[in-house]
Parts: sequence; structure tokens; C-alpha cells
Amino acid sequence: MRAREARFDVRSSDALPDMRSGTRPSIRPKSTRLKSVLPPGLRLSRKTRRKLVPYLLFFPAAILLFFFVFGMINGVLQGFGIAPFLGKYDLTLDYYIQALTKSELSISILFSLYLAVLATLGAAILGIVLSAAICKLGAGRKIRLFGVQMPMMVAHSVVVLCLLTIFSSSGLLARFLFELGLITEPSDMPSVLGAPSGWGIILTYIWREVPFIAFCTITIMAHIGDRYGEAAAVLGANSIKTFFTVTLPLCKSAIIKASLVVFAYVFGSYEVAALLGPTLPKALPVLAYYQFKLVDITNRCLAMALNGITIAICMVVVIIYFITLWHERREGQWTQARTGETNKE
Amino acid sequence: MDSGQDGRDKQRINAEIISTICATGQGVAKQDTARRNATGQPARRQKKLLHRGQRKPRHGCKRGYQREYRRASIIFCIVYFTCIFLPLVLILVWSLTNVWPWPNLLPERLSLRAFTQVYTSGANFLSALFLTVTIGIAVSLLTVFAATLAARALVLHVFRGREVFRFATILPFLVPQTVFAMGIQVLFFKLGLANTVSGVIIAHCVVALPYAATIMVDVTQAAGTHLEEQARVMGASSFNMARFVTLPVLLPGILSAASLSYIISIGNYFVTLLIGGGNVSTVMTIMFPFLASEDRAIAGVYVVSFLAVTLLVFLAFEMILGRLGVRERKSLFGG
Repeated sequence: MRAREARFDVRSSDALPDMRSGTRPSIRPKSTRLKSVLPPGLRLSRKTRRKLVPYLLFFPAAILLFFFVFGMINGVLQGFGIAPFLGKYDLTLDYYIQALTKSELSISILFSLYLAVLATLGAAILGIVLSAAICKLGAGRKIRLFGVQMPMMVAHSVVVLCLLTIFSSSGLLARFLFELGLITEPSDMPSVLGAPSGWGIILTYIWREVPFIAFCTITIMAHIGDRYGEAAAVLGANSIKTFFTVTLPLCKSAIIKASLVVFAYVFGSYEVAALLGPTLPKALPVLAYYQFKLVDITNRCLAMALNGITIAICMVVVIIYFITLWHERREGQWTQARTGETNKE
Repeated sequence: MDSGQDGRDKQRINAEIISTICATGQGVAKQDTARRNATGQPARRQKKLLHRGQRKPRHGCKRGYQREYRRASIIFCIVYFTCIFLPLVLILVWSLTNVWPWPNLLPERLSLRAFTQVYTSGANFLSALFLTVTIGIAVSLLTVFAATLAARALVLHVFRGREVFRFATILPFLVPQTVFAMGIQVLFFKLGLANTVSGVIIAHCVVALPYAATIMVDVTQAAGTHLEEQARVMGASSFNMARFVTLPVLLPGILSAASLSYIISIGNYFVTLLIGGGNVSTVMTIMFPFLASEDRAIAGVYVVSFLAVTLLVFLAFEMILGRLGVRERKSLFGG
């Protein structure tokens, strides 16, 4: 290692990690520097300084997260009618009631849920099959690079254009069908634009999220194939059986987590649904943004109530995510696998 | 990590870049079949060995099924690659067409009309392209900085509220960015960050943070502390430890997180639109109205330029990773 090349000055016991306190021995912080900067009256005890370190480390991320949480809470409060910039200070449930009872709005919620569920299921299944297929072929780095990581760079709205060049009423598919004599006019082709079933939106998300799911599972799957797959094979399981009894259960938590991220993303993202979605029903984020940007600024509270509903549904996702995380830690299967991993290196 | 390995990796990276430049949809399909033949060969050889009974079967006992699974995997991969690359090639063709009237399967005339139209109509688009890349790089630097430190705090320290912080780090994954953008707009106006580039950068950082943090927590956990402890025991100062031990160990993860953050930043439309107002125009905000419009050639040019810029930076990251001797990039959820 390069560490050996560096010349260190040995500084008595001061350089040794402090083993006395704390459950795990951690590297001693840059405490000397902190001490010299502070005036004598403000010097903190070593214990306080040690306690302060993790908070300091977390500080930059905490600023960013503060913005996020503030945005969320602010949105929810505005949904309840507390919007100081509009001169409203009274807590009211009106907007939520309005959002939930208006038939147009509740259909939007269902439509968004429908899109998210179908897209997530499709992406998860195809993504797992893809990563299994790539692992099976033992495909090299290049295939992974161009098959899995490159499609992830293609922004969602770019995928929309891809879809339009193929499935729109004057797209490639329509031209093929014309060549075959199945249609005579562009208008005979059911267009993907604004289809009430939203299949274009679902297809877009599947196109884009299959590589994402594969990206999240492929490394684990390859490791499992190396380690447990052979053990199962020696014990006489065929590969389908190995896949369902060994690989899939071990990948389970990664798959669930990736799917939840996909679900939340599809449920709450604006671009694709705005470009391809039907005028009625609108997807929930599209509707919220529509209310948000109306000239009448008082509509913002309704928009925020819609966002509040989005948050409520996403909270269910969050809870499932954390249950998965908790299970994962309790079973310790991954820590075991991981320690094996680090030992091997 | 030795120099021979380095050289080989470098060669491989070069070959990859060349193949990217050459790869059209058909080209990729051909590569795929070529790969199948190449990998098919050893499999057959192995079968012969099995007949002689020299080696135990590697997977399972039913070799007939085994071959079928393999064939199914190959077919699936080919279909998948076609589905991924065909539309992208189609967009490239669209961007180069002049006229492509309705029932024709092939475009009538190819020309650079759309390219000249987009690139010569003022310096608008070029400056947007530049701004997009700048924002992307700034976002990836800031996010990775925050995520690396946060991951250290979460993994190596025990402190009050650690689980809350862990929870908060994951939160932007699961609560949509539309909600965040609409909620934060008022605060950004008050802070003077709305309609500015720095505001957009901060907002993008928030969106990219969970991705970077997840990767960094994994990498930090896998790295552990024993190497750092060794360095300290040998008398390294904390700066030398960070420079010569911590950073090299974490570098693959750092680069993966950075490239992911970059991708997330430059592909973002909604947050840029809301925080940037009309002032900050990135490629995404310029491109968006054209995507569903009739002039597909113009949209094609925007998309091709966008993808070219993305790919360039992506390949740069790949090259650095390859030079460092990293075979596998870190994926998101463990592994």
C-alpha cells in the first residue's frame, strides 16, 4: 500500500486510538486542532469533543436534510391552511376534505397508484430476470456497463421521446403496420400520447427502471451465485430451484428496497406523466403542480393538501422500507455475507 | 493493483471507448452474438470433459435444462439490448433527418438542418449545456462531500439520534421530489436562493443525497476501521491517515456516488424548473417543451447533445475507476 511510503512522525501515545471509552474503538478526531483554535476559556473537555465529532461530520448532510424536511413540513402545514405568506394562520381541514371528496381528485390518486404499482411490478420482475440472465451468462464488465449503467443515465423525459418515435401515430410501428397493410392512415394507430390507460407512462418507467433494479441487485446476485450457488449445485439443486430457494431469498431485501424507491419515484414524479398522460385523469403530481402554478395563489393550499396525500402514501412506503431494513439487520445475513467479503479481500 | 493489472485495465477501457463510439444498435446486437459464440465455446469443451468423467458438473445434475436456461438468458439479453438501444439509435437518425414523410420506413434525406438550427440560433443552447455540466459537477462534489462525512458519522460513531439521522438520510429516496420542490420554494424565495444557480445546486444536492449516502455507508462499512487504526498505531497524523489510507480505500465508492449524483442532477427537470424559475435554463428545461412536439428532429438534437454530454462524463468516471483497478462499481443496496 501507499501508506507505507508516507513518512509519519511518531508522536508518543498521543497518536494511539483511545480504547477507553465507547463501545467500538474509533479513530481519534482532529481534537488537537480544535483545541488550539478555541480560546482557553472555551476549551471543551476531551469527552465533549469526542461526543461532538459525529454531529460535526453529519453537519453538511444535515443542512441539506434540513431543507428537505422543512420543505415537507412546510407543505403539510400549508395543506392544513397555515400559510403565513398568504396571510392565513388558522388550522383547517378544508383543503384535505376538498381534495378527498372531489371525484376528479380521488380518481387522480387511484390513477397514480395504478401507474406506480404496475410500473414497479413490471420493472422489478424484468429487472430481476435481467440481472439473473446477466449473472447466468457470466457477462463481463462491458455488458454490465452498457446494459445496466448506461441506460440509467438516460433521463426519464428522454425515454418519452424514445417511446414517441416508436409508438406515436406517425412513429416507426405505425409505418411498419402501414407497410403490412394493417392501417391506412396515421389516425388509425392508437397513439401513446394521452392514452387514458396510461400504458405509455408505465412502459417509460419500466424501460428506465429495469436497469435501475438490475443495478441494485446484480452485484449481490453475482456474489451469491459464486458462493452459495455452487454449494446448492453440489447438493443437487438445479438452477431454477437454486434461484428460487437460494438466490432470491438472499436478494430479497435489496429487491424490496429498490422496488420501494421505484414505487415512490413513479408515484411522485412529474415529467413523464405530464408529457404522456391523458388530460383526465391527471396523475397526482401533475394535478398538484397544476393547482400550484395557477394564477390564484390561494390554490396553493389545495396543491399542498394533494402533496400531503402523496406524503401519507409515501410514509407507508417508508415504513415498509424500514421494516425491511430492520429484518435485514436482525437476520444478520448480510453482515455475515459482508464480513466474509471483507475477509476474502 | 500492480502495474500489469493497471495496463490491462487501461487497455480494456480504451477498447470500451472505441466500441462505444462505433456501437450503433445493430453493432451492439452483433457484439452480442459474437460474445455468445465466444462463451459458447468453453461450455461445449466443458461438456466433453464431463463425458470423460474428469470433472464434476458445476451446476446441478440436469445438464439439458442447464443449456436451456443459458439459451433463454441469451435470448432475453438480446431482446433487452435491442429494446434499450433501438430507440436511442432511432433518435439519432431522427436528429439527422431533413424530411421523413409519413409512410416511409426510411428517411428521405439526411441533413444537419436541425443541428445547425439548434446550435446557431444564439448562444442559448451552448450556454445551457455548459451550465448543466457545471451544475452537475458542483452537485456531485457537494453531495459526495456531505455523504462521505455523514456516512462516517453513521457507521463509525455511536451518538444520540443516530437512527433519526439514518432515517432522514433515506427520506429523500421515498418522498417524491415534487413534494419537496413545491414545499421549499417559499423558503428559497426568502433566502434569496430562488431563481439562482446556487439555489438549484442546493436543491439538486438534496435530491441526490440519499443515493450518494447509501453508497457511502456501504463502502465505509465494508472498509471498516482496521486499516486506519493500523496507520494511527504506526504514528500517522490524522491528515496523513485521511490522505493515504481513508481516501484510497473509499475512492471507488466516492467515484460511484459522484457519477450517480451527476446523472441525477443533469437529468432533473422538475426541481430545476421550480427553484430555477425561468432564470436557470439547463438542457432539460430547454428540451422539455420540444419532447412532445411535432418537430422530432429538433427534439432529437437536444436529446443527442444531452446524452453525449452525459456519456462523456460517465466514461471519464469509468476511466478513472478502471485506472484505479476497480472492476466493479458499487451498486446501491449492498453488494
